[in-house]
This record gives sequence, C-alpha cells and structure tokens, in this order.
Amino acid sequence: MIEVRGLAKSFSDLRVVEDVSFVARDGEITGLIGPNGAGKTTMFRLICTVLRPNCGTTLIDGIDSQKDPLAARRRLGVLPDLRALYTRLTAREHLRYFGELHGIERHELDTRIAELVATLRMEDFIDRRAKGFSRGQQMKVALGRALVHRPHNIMLDEPTNGLDVATSRAVRDLLRRLRAEGRCILLTSHIMQEVGALADRIIVLADGHIVLQGAPAELRRATGLNDLEEIFMAVTQEAAAQPALAAGE
Amino acid sequence: MTMFAILTVFKKEMVDHLRDGRSILISMIYPLMGPLLLGLMFLFVGGGMRVNEGAPLVVPILHIESAPDLVGFLESRGATMQPIAGDARGLVSGGRVAFALMLPAQPSATPESPLAVRLITNPARVDSMVATSRVVELLNTYQHETLEGRLRAAGLSAEMMSVLNIEQENIGRAAGPAVILLTMIPPFLIFTLFTGGVHVALDATSGERERGSFETLMMNPVQLYQVLTGKLGATMVFTLMALGVQAVAFWVMLHTVPQESLGLIAPPSMLRLLVVVSVCLPLVVLAAALQLLISAVTRSVKEAQTYLGLLPLVPGLAGMVLALAPVRAQPMLAAIPTFGQTLLMGQLVRSEAVSAVFIGITAVATLAAVALLLLLGFRLYEREEILFPQ
Repeated sequence: MIEVRGLAKSFSDLRVVEDVSFVARDGEITGLIGPNGAGKTTMFRLICTVLRPNCGTTLIDGIDSQKDPLAARRRLGVLPDLRALYTRLTAREHLRYFGELHGIERHELDTRIAELVATLRMEDFIDRRAKGFSRGQQMKVALGRALVHRPHNIMLDEPTNGLDVATSRAVRDLLRRLRAEGRCILLTSHIMQEVGALADRIIVLADGHIVLQGAPAELRRATGLNDLEEIFMAVTQEAAAQPALAAGE
Repeated sequence: MTMFAILTVFKKEMVDHLRDGRSILISMIYPLMGPLLLGLMFLFVGGGMRVNEGAPLVVPILHIESAPDLVGFLESRGATMQPIAGDARGLVSGGRVAFALMLPAQPSATPESPLAVRLITNPARVDSMVATSRVVELLNTYQHETLEGRLRAAGLSAEMMSVLNIEQENIGRAAGPAVILLTMIPPFLIFTLFTGGVHVALDATSGERERGSFETLMMNPVQLYQVLTGKLGATMVFTLMALGVQAVAFWVMLHTVPQESLGLIAPPSMLRLLVVVSVCLPLVVLAAALQLLISAVTRSVKEAQTYLGLLPLVPGLAGMVLALAPVRAQPMLAAIPTFGQTLLMGQLVRSEAVSAVFIGITAVATLAAVALLLLLGFRLYEREEILFPQ
C-alpha cells in the first residue's frame, strides 16, 4: 500500500506539488491523471524517493520512504516514462542487472527472468541487444525490469504510451492479473478510456493539487457527469478557480 | 550487499563498454600514437646523428679552387669535397645541402694572409649539427697546425700562442637526444591516464543522466556511492588497459628501433615499465575522480566532453616542460599530483635512481587529493537535479 500524507515539493519558487494526500490500496489499481504540468511525474519521483519532498511523508507498506529509502525502494517496482534502456545490453542482461541490484540470487533470478519472459512474451528478443528495439519491446523490457524483484507496489508512468493495440491490451491484462494477486498498482495515463477501464480509484491532479479523487462511480456522482473525459475536463478547468474538491474520502 | 551492489554496477559497466567497439578502438589509438611518434623521432633524430658520426664527412664547398692547402688538409682527414656553385645560403636554407663551407672567390694575396672562410649552417636540421661540428673541429685543427708550422719556421714555440688549453669532458650520458626523447615518455603516459577511460566516465555519468537511465538506476535499493564507485572502478580498468597498451607499445618500440638510435642508453626493461605504470596507479584514480566530478558539474555530455578534452593538457604540458627544462626531484614537488609522478617516471625511464620517500609522498598526496575530489563529487551527485536530463 502506498500512503501519501501532505506531500509538497517546490523547485526554487515554483510549487509543483502542494499538500497532496491519498492512499493507493493493495489489490487495487489507482489511476493518477492530470493535464500536462499537473505534477504527476514529480509525484512519482517523490514516491519512489528520487526526489525529496519539502514536507509530508510517503509510506510504502508502512515504511517511511524518507527514513528508510532503500527499504521503500525494495517494495516498489517503477516503470518510468523514459524507458531508458542500455542499447548495448540484451533484454536478459537488463533484467539480470536490475534483479542483482535488488540482491536476488542467481538461480532465483534465472527462475524469475524465465517467468517474466513467458508473461511478457519476450522470447523473440530476450537475448538481443536493446539497440533497435521497437517501443513495445522497450516497454516490455522496462516493465520486466520493474517487476523482476516481485514488488508489492507497482508504479507505472504512461504504461501504454506509444504501444500498438495488441501490446496495450496485453499490458492491461497483465495489470489486472497483478491486481488479482493483491498488488498495489499506481498508474498515470493520458488515455481516459484506459484509466476508466482499469482503475478502481482515480485521483485527478491539477496545478500540483488533488482536485478530485475517488472510485469512478463516486466521481460521476460528485460531478453529475458520466464520461470520465468530461469529468476530467470539467474539474481541471475549474481547478484554478475552485478549492480542492474531494469525493469519497 | 555493499560490495555486491558495487560489483554489480562495475560488471554492468564493463560489459556495456567492452561492447562499445568504436570507443575502445579510438581510446586505444591514442596510446599507440605516443610510442609510434617517439619511435619515428628516434629513427630520424637518432638515425641522423648516427649517420653523421659514422659516415664519411661530405663538405659542400664553394670556390674550392681558392684554398688548395685547406682542401688538401680536409681530404687528408677523410673529408670528401662536394663543390657547389651559386647561392650557398639558398642551397642550405632550401635543404639541398646540410651546410656549406664558403671560401673567398679569389685566393689570398700572400700565403700568410688570413683566409676568410664562412660556414653556412642551419641548426634546425639535425643532420647538419654533427657534420658542422666536425667541420669546425677540422678547421680549428688546420688553423692550429698551420700556425704551429709558421711559428716553428720563425724559431718560436707554438706554446707562446696558447693562453688556455681547453679540454671538454662530457660526464653526461653520451646518448644526447635519446635522453630527451626518453623524457617525453612520461607526458605521453599522463595524457593516456586522462584519456584512456574518459569515454566510460562520460557515458556512465553524463550519458546515463542524458538518457534518463540514471534516475531509473537510483529507484533501486542502492546507495549513490555504490553506483558511483562501480562506475569509477570501470573507468579505472579502461584507463589501466590504455596505460598497459601504451607501456607495451613503448617497450616494443624501444626494443625495435636500431640500438644505435638510442645512443648509449639501454632501453627500459618491461619490469621497469611496469614500475612506471604502478607509480601511475594513484593517478588512475585521480583521473577517474576528476572525470566523475566534471561530469557532475556539466549539464550535458557535449559540455563535459569539452572540459574533459582540455583536462589532460594541464598535467601533460607540465610534463612536456619538464622534458625540455628538467627540474630536480624535491620532496615538495612530489606533493603536486601528476607533477610528482612525471618527475618520478622521468627518472625511471632514464634508468636513474629513485627515492622511496619521493614515491611515498607522491602516492599519499595524490590519494589525499582523490579523497577530496570523491567527497566533493559524491556531494555533487546528491543534488536532485543531477538525476534528470537537463
């Protein structure tokens, strides 16, 4: 479970995230949506400890990520927006490298890599160097890299960005399977349909604030709108003029 | 886990960069350039000297008919006359002849009149240096012997004409230019120290940041110092590889060029070259730490490349200056990283005795500088913005 309490972050005079609190529960997919520049990526970076907040705390399965960032990172698997692969390493070497950084032993790592190859259907390119990989192949390697240590909490930044229909569907199926296993999944996406289809809870971020959060049904009730895209447009356009609006919690 | 994480990063960087064939090729070409260049210099400079000293002396001479006595004397001492005509200065400056002996157009009015001879030389040409000095020596001998004969004919002692009896004794190595050329080895080694692993340092820090993979790396349960130490280790290994290639290339060159080119100097043995390389070891860490630091303060690979390209010039130029204007190895100088090692390496390649205290001071001073640089570098890498592409 990822629990964010009063998180705030500024860069010089620019407030990027301000007093953000939410909970991403186990066995649920939590969708974090917002317009460009809303602070989604900064939120991601704060949660996975590569940025330090000005105030507030993040608990990963009860572990304060500021006090024990390494323990928090062990329980997190992150798919960043930039897939950033090493072009001279093979897909297998990527998985092995990140598995070893998590301290997984060789034989155990071999087993996990074999599982991931089957799950993500990487058989065709697992021993090929990453140079020239298609976006789908890059995403699969990056996803495998995020899952190789079997994290309980998974964060995905735009997981289907630039993927074809078949690969996007495969990713969505995988996320549902991970949810069914009881994992906590936090994802950002610009594709409202995707968030609507996957997310159990949705958090709308605008100008560094949470302007709306709750289950899809709760959002519909709170706004009187049915379509998630309409809800998104309505709350983000009003965000500048209205105080934060919370549905549900 | 600490060592395991460092080794994991180190191993990844090694595999990654060993596959970067083009960068490795380029980084290995420079170490070979030094020995190649120095080998050619030994061949041409040393060779030129050798030919001059051993070969018959050919004297390009203008107006040969003006001084038959002098010409006869020179020929009696083994010199071969090469009559020339026209502009002697033009012939020398144009490189047609190494030097020229100009005699007056007309013979002296009386046998006792001084003969005006002019030697046209060009010190820029190595092959003219020994030949010219041999001609001057022969002319002095001719003058001395002729004067002696005249004084004797007049019933006077030749000693009356001598105030000083000058003898010159060279207690230095007779190798001359070979010693200077050997002194050029340390600056080449210093250059390699700062270029051998630079591509790894750049790619593993600035490059990783620019690609966005540094951020991904730091999302894993590893400490920053573990990541940086692993990268530092890989940079050092590639630097050592380049240094090793260069040391072997120097050894091959010194044992391949004709021994006469080296004069009386025995080429340094492989063991001695290994000692030279081991003297450089603290500098390998220093170079890697500096590269890491520069990558931390620059905003892109391109900017880092610019600074890192200039970096070897500072210690390298100091070495070049030392090659031309030797400095006595004093303990105070040993405390200056790269300068102390340049002095030490110079002594080692010239097969001179080295002081253990001097070696100790250079190592300790350099490692202290490394500690400071790493401390500063690690602090700089703790800045949040360093993780993300600029």
